[in-house]
Amino acid sequence: MQKLEDKKISEVAATGKPAIVRLEHISKVYGIGETEVIALNDVSLVIEAGEYCSIMGASGSGKSTAMNAIGCLDRPTSGRYYLDGVDVSQLDDAQLAHIRNRKIGFVFQQFHLLPQLSALENVMLPMVYAGISSSERRDRAVAALTKVGLEKRLNNRPNQLSGGQQQRVAIARAIVNQPVLLLADEPTGALDSRTTHEVMNIFGELNRSGITIVMVTHEPEVAKTTRRIVWFRDGEVVYSHLTPEEMLHVAVAAT
Amino acid sequence: MDILDSLKMAGTTLAANRLRSALTILGIVIGNASVIGMVGVGQGAQRLAAEQFESLGPNLLFVSPGQPGQRRATLTAPKTLVLEDAKAIATQVPAIKEVSPQIQNQQQVTYGSKNISTLVIGTNPEFLTVRSFDVERGRFINEQDLKRNNRIAILGPEVANKLFGIREPIGQQIRIKNISFEVVGVTKPKGSFLGSNQDDAVFVPITTLANRIIGRTSVYGLQVTFISVTAQNPASMSAAQFQIRNLLRLRHKITGEDDFTVRTQEEILTIVNTITGALTIMLGAIAAISLVVGGIGVMNIMLVSVTERTQEIGLRKALGATQQDILIQFLIEAVILATAGGLVGTAIGMGGISLVSSFTPLKASVAPMSIFLAIGVSSGIGLFFGVVPAQRAARLDPIVALRSA
Repeated sequence: MQKLEDKKISEVAATGKPAIVRLEHISKVYGIGETEVIALNDVSLVIEAGEYCSIMGASGSGKSTAMNAIGCLDRPTSGRYYLDGVDVSQLDDAQLAHIRNRKIGFVFQQFHLLPQLSALENVMLPMVYAGISSSERRDRAVAALTKVGLEKRLNNRPNQLSGGQQQRVAIARAIVNQPVLLLADEPTGALDSRTTHEVMNIFGELNRSGITIVMVTHEPEVAKTTRRIVWFRDGEVVYSHLTPEEMLHVAVAAT
Repeated sequence: MDILDSLKMAGTTLAANRLRSALTILGIVIGNASVIGMVGVGQGAQRLAAEQFESLGPNLLFVSPGQPGQRRATLTAPKTLVLEDAKAIATQVPAIKEVSPQIQNQQQVTYGSKNISTLVIGTNPEFLTVRSFDVERGRFINEQDLKRNNRIAILGPEVANKLFGIREPIGQQIRIKNISFEVVGVTKPKGSFLGSNQDDAVFVPITTLANRIIGRTSVYGLQVTFISVTAQNPASMSAAQFQIRNLLRLRHKITGEDDFTVRTQEEILTIVNTITGALTIMLGAIAAISLVVGGIGVMNIMLVSVTERTQEIGLRKALGATQQDILIQFLIEAVILATAGGLVGTAIGMGGISLVSSFTPLKASVAPMSIFLAIGVSSGIGLFFGVVPAQRAARLDPIVALRSA
């Protein structure tokens, strides 16, 4: 386990690639005084361009809070967060919305597709908020849906699609604004093993095409397909650069 | 995000929840329908009053006893206006054309075993022209009748029908207060005036009514109910009004306040319009309350909708919607709902109005201005009551919103 201990001394961006996510001493505290809960405790983390990385940890370990901070859905109590070189830790709500719209693509466990819209319209939604012209919206949405293999399902409503297909629509929606970071929160949590495989393949392909992916998951099987695993415990990063094999050891130890 | 996208988005959402949208606007629909209906009926009543005043005859003035503001000791009008006043007006006022004094009295009128209570009007031959009445059969009162206190009567068509049915009344004897009168004529139907049926009346010579039935009633002479006067032409109306007033003040030896009132047709119409106008405003106000209640209904459903759509709101925020985007989206939905409610409500109100005007004499109608106003107010109500739900939606924390199952 000596090798694992070494991994704790992290945060050396050795490769020289630009950092997409750079968390510097990020803390997140909920409540005050007696009821104070420290969700993130001085977390520092660097994710470079082109990485394919999983965030793991037990529930309550702070991985979801970290995810929200990385996704610009929440502001840290203290510390600095540079997303694609921009300090976003103190931006206001409207600026954060703009950052989310342009730089981040979200994929959720529950897909979160709007039931009254077709697959195409769902994928066009982020571009509506980006102010892109409607003709361009359509072209880009079709391209994104083609990329996830749903070019024949453009006009289907979510309830006319299988779970795996719905998640692929959600992935198309996440990449349609060409974000610098694709954030997936338990993307396979609601899928069976076959569709899980399908969705992971798409993530793999997207990563190979150059998209930086960060995925929160508690399934070792899923995390294994990524190239780097960050392990959270009690609001801290305990391991920041686990390989899939090392992760399996840690996962066994944790249970 | 531009306004066209917002409209389209709101339209899609509302169309996806058709039943809820329909139920949401129900309050506004009812509110609007009642506002339009009430205002329409009120305006119709005003128009009807105007038409009836026109049918009274042109250039008409009324002289009636007492003052409108006077505190009255008894229920009856003061007994200050007498037949002599009418004669004086007829002979001494240059601006007038004709004068017709009237004594009106509710009396029992009998024919054979039939017995009805009706308005007995004692008047003179000028009544026909002054008040634009016509005789259908037989004749009206003439000067001879006045001079001789003839016991003759002319029936309104409704009285003729009630007493005689299809039989010919002319030449028959009727009894008024146990005094026998010969029916010599029947007037043409005239319709009602301000709710009183002008065809339900019996006309007798004013002298006969005074001398044989009522007798001297005032210390000044024979009290009349009012005097109808026609001016020479429309231009001489105010001159006639002024001259009559001067003459009567002189005759009544008045130095202070008048004990009579001279009103032109227009003045009375104005008074009636004031009353119906106030009534319209009151009805409209009651209906407007239901419009506000409808607005509260919209707010209620929108609040529920925000709760129901928490996840959608969270997702939209995650995808880059700002608070303002969400606020505008929900406001537009509320305004669309309320405006649609306004349109439907107005259509129903207009339907109701055309029903009223086809089944009653009330020519109910609504000015286009009122329609625009009603729809505009509905939209405004949607905007006003949409603010609270929209703000609640806009302020939702995306993390909490996305997590809510």
